[in-house]
Amino acid sequence: MILANTKHVLIIDDAALVRAYYRQTLEQAGYRVDEALNGLEALEKILLHSFDLLIVDINMPQMDGLTFLRTLRDKEPPLSAIPALVTSTEAGQQDIASARAAGANYYVVKPLKRELLTELVGMLCGVTA
Amino acid sequence: MNEFVEQFLLEARELIEQAAGDLLALEQRPDDPDRVDSVFRAFHTLKGAAGIVEFEAMGRALHAVEGVLTGVRSKESALSTTMIDECLACLDQVTRWLDDMEVTGKVPTEARPAADAIVQRFLGITRPAASGLQVGDWLARLQEASPGHFSEAQTALRYLPHADAFFRGEDPLAFIRELPGLVSIELALSDPATPFDDIDPFTCGMEILALSKADAEAVTRSLADVSDQIEVHAIRPRTASDAALAPLARSILEAQILLLREPRQSGGSGQAASAGQVSINVCRHAGIDPAADQIAAALNSDDIASIIKAIEHALQNQQGDVSAEKSEQPRIPSSATARVLRVETTRIDTLVNLTGELTVVKNALGHLATQAQSGLDTKAVAGTLRRLQMQLDRLVGEVQRAVLRIRVVPMRQMFQRFPRPVREISAGVGKSVTFAVEGEDTEADTAIVEALFEPLLHVLRNSIDHGVEDFGQRIASGKPPTATIVLRAFRELDNVIVEVEDDGRGVDVDRVREVAVTRGLVEADTLERMTDADIVDLIFASGFSTAREVTGLSGRGVGMDAVRTAVERLGGRVSIDSRSSIGTVVRLTLPFTVMIARVMTIEAAGQAFGIPLDAVVETAMIPRDRIVPIGQAMAFAWRGRTVPLVSLAASLGLTSHVSTNAAEARVVITVAGGQLGAIEVERLGERMDVMIKPMDGLLGGMSGVAGTTLLGDGRVLIVLDVQELFN
Amino acid sequence: MTVTRVDKGKIELAGTCPSDDAETLFQFLLEDRSAEVDWSRCERAHTAVIQVLLASGCKITGALGGNFLGEYIDAALRRAGGKIRPFPAGL
Repeated sequence: MILANTKHVLIIDDAALVRAYYRQTLEQAGYRVDEALNGLEALEKILLHSFDLLIVDINMPQMDGLTFLRTLRDKEPPLSAIPALVTSTEAGQQDIASARAAGANYYVVKPLKRELLTELVGMLCGVTA
Repeated sequence: MNEFVEQFLLEARELIEQAAGDLLALEQRPDDPDRVDSVFRAFHTLKGAAGIVEFEAMGRALHAVEGVLTGVRSKESALSTTMIDECLACLDQVTRWLDDMEVTGKVPTEARPAADAIVQRFLGITRPAASGLQVGDWLARLQEASPGHFSEAQTALRYLPHADAFFRGEDPLAFIRELPGLVSIELALSDPATPFDDIDPFTCGMEILALSKADAEAVTRSLADVSDQIEVHAIRPRTASDAALAPLARSILEAQILLLREPRQSGGSGQAASAGQVSINVCRHAGIDPAADQIAAALNSDDIASIIKAIEHALQNQQGDVSAEKSEQPRIPSSATARVLRVETTRIDTLVNLTGELTVVKNALGHLATQAQSGLDTKAVAGTLRRLQMQLDRLVGEVQRAVLRIRVVPMRQMFQRFPRPVREISAGVGKSVTFAVEGEDTEADTAIVEALFEPLLHVLRNSIDHGVEDFGQRIASGKPPTATIVLRAFRELDNVIVEVEDDGRGVDVDRVREVAVTRGLVEADTLERMTDADIVDLIFASGFSTAREVTGLSGRGVGMDAVRTAVERLGGRVSIDSRSSIGTVVRLTLPFTVMIARVMTIEAAGQAFGIPLDAVVETAMIPRDRIVPIGQAMAFAWRGRTVPLVSLAASLGLTSHVSTNAAEARVVITVAGGQLGAIEVERLGERMDVMIKPMDGLLGGMSGVAGTTLLGDGRVLIVLDVQELFN
Repeated sequence: MTVTRVDKGKIELAGTCPSDDAETLFQFLLEDRSAEVDWSRCERAHTAVIQVLLASGCKITGALGGNFLGEYIDAALRRAGGKIRPFPAGL
């Protein structure tokens, strides 16, 4: 049952395992979840549904996360304004800066603990009690 | 040793202490920018120092930590308990490397694997979860079930009603309904495996978890009637109170500000809009709607600057307790490594002055000698000599005192080492403890301060492990759920007193009595006549360690008896003052001044003696036929000199354990006052540094003895005054 | 009457349900494991009643937004729903 205020999250990551893990975690927390394997697929999906948050992995074939993000931010509102959480295996200053320059709202390092994921998604989507 | 290495070791240890202190402070207040700066600088400086001594692995490891701390400093990431733990663990590893270097004098060769491990851990460090400590599985479940609620709550609670609660007419959920600041509830069956058919609807088998915005005290009070069935845990124990933003939320908001400051991409307005939206979301999530509305209004205006302002406003307002008092940053003095001391220059100046005065006396003596040689009459010589001797007597006393003053350091440097182990021990046994320190400026001899660490640590461990009751018990007895342990030091006349006070359950007198009898420490009838205070004191008796004390924690083969021995070896004493269910005070009384002598230990007539090493020339085996009587004494020829021989056994009127028929006598050849002497001994022992309690009062007049001390095995060591011995 | 079996497959909780209702509810659910419980007219319920709901894993409808049950208990029961064993097979 999808209630009016259920938040909708799109997971963009080429690893099936990661997508499954995030999906399971977030669905259990009451979110509606969709998946995309790369940036191209993601661009298609955001035209079909209205998402509250995108979780984007940086390293993906065919269109990496940052390129996708730049493309997204360049579009017309409201698409361009969708909050985006970037995930990566790197923790360097440069990586964080690049992600921000591409338009990422927040940056986390993988692997991501369940509690952190749900907490973060809750805040970024503005879930209230 | 590379001349830089010694300096490096000294400075590195100081930096480590500084960093550790900052990290622990940050655990209480993660947002303190001065502390963040300080810890960053400490790691940064440590890294630089590693470079100077060419310790590549250490530099690499510290670089990784520095990288993470840079992110914290620039507010891109928030400091989590995990990060703090990892930083502390890194400091531990560095300390181990330093210890290694101290011994070998060189950079450790096998450091790379450990350094790699540190680098790995810091690269993989995830951004912080909003709340740190997990006490017990239920708290974790609660957090996982509704993390959104968790981050706004101040208190978590677990309510396990008795099975017969319903029969007793209780309605557990009705209590929860009345909970102040209720945020959410989780329900679970204590035994979910029971088939539905077998359930007894009138037996309560539920677990109720709840989150509340109110503080732990309020929650506990509200559930006072069922206090024995609940477990209350404060989520944000000491820091921000209501309405403060969780560190993660702050971190996200700060990231949005940075994003808003990014130069706009070609025509795109997406990043500003998304940043605004995220900020609004975070505020709504945290329940601070006015801030969210303000940001929304700014967003409509499309003016980046005002959006940023609105977000900053949200951050500032929700800072929680922004107290005006700056937490003091004590300059941490040298953690007195055994051989090096930092000393106040005034104390050195005093010594210099005394040296000057001694020189004057020395010159006077020289002059007197010349006069005597050129025929000054004996009486005049004697007069001047007497005067000079008195001056010398006074000066030597002053020099002694001055030297002791140099050795005196404040307790602070040792007290500083405790917060971390206390924190770990408390966490290890799942108890909540506030640790306070008083009188850190109290001074005592550096040897004492150093030597007190281990015994005090053991007393603290004991206090946390046994003295402090667990949560439920404390609440049931109306005590605050968090125990308080105070470590305090103060001067009292000639003594330094160090106390460990807790507000725990006190010593269980009956149990002590029980154990004393079981272990045959005391006769049953003696026990009858002992007061409670005397019985409590039995804890220090050797052989007391009860089975309950031999936990992984307390059972390092160290009982309270070892504490007493250690303290007595320092010339002090330890006592315990316990009041049932109110608390316990363990009091260590130490002498303020001590004398340290480096001695060679020997045995004669079954008694242990110490001969100051600076009086020892050599040890030798002298054939008995070479020992001849001269007047009343014995002597022998040695290297062309006649050396008087003293037998300690004989001079003490004890029976020697060595037959005088033995072919050779074992002797220690000494020098004192320019004169050679020899002391016959039975056995030679090891060299050691001992703290001599100065002999005063009646025993001060005893000839031949400088003082006494306690050996590790409890025996008394008599330190000899060699000069007096041969008079 | 606070616990009623309305028609086949539906049980209603209304008003203030005391602890005794737990037994009644339990019996009803034993007889019909797939019954739905409607508590849209229920204002308060004793913990014993909630416990039966929790243990049965039954479907609950009609949560009122404005009261304790609707605001807290309903959500708690739903979150717990995933962890209670599913309907025994065959019933």
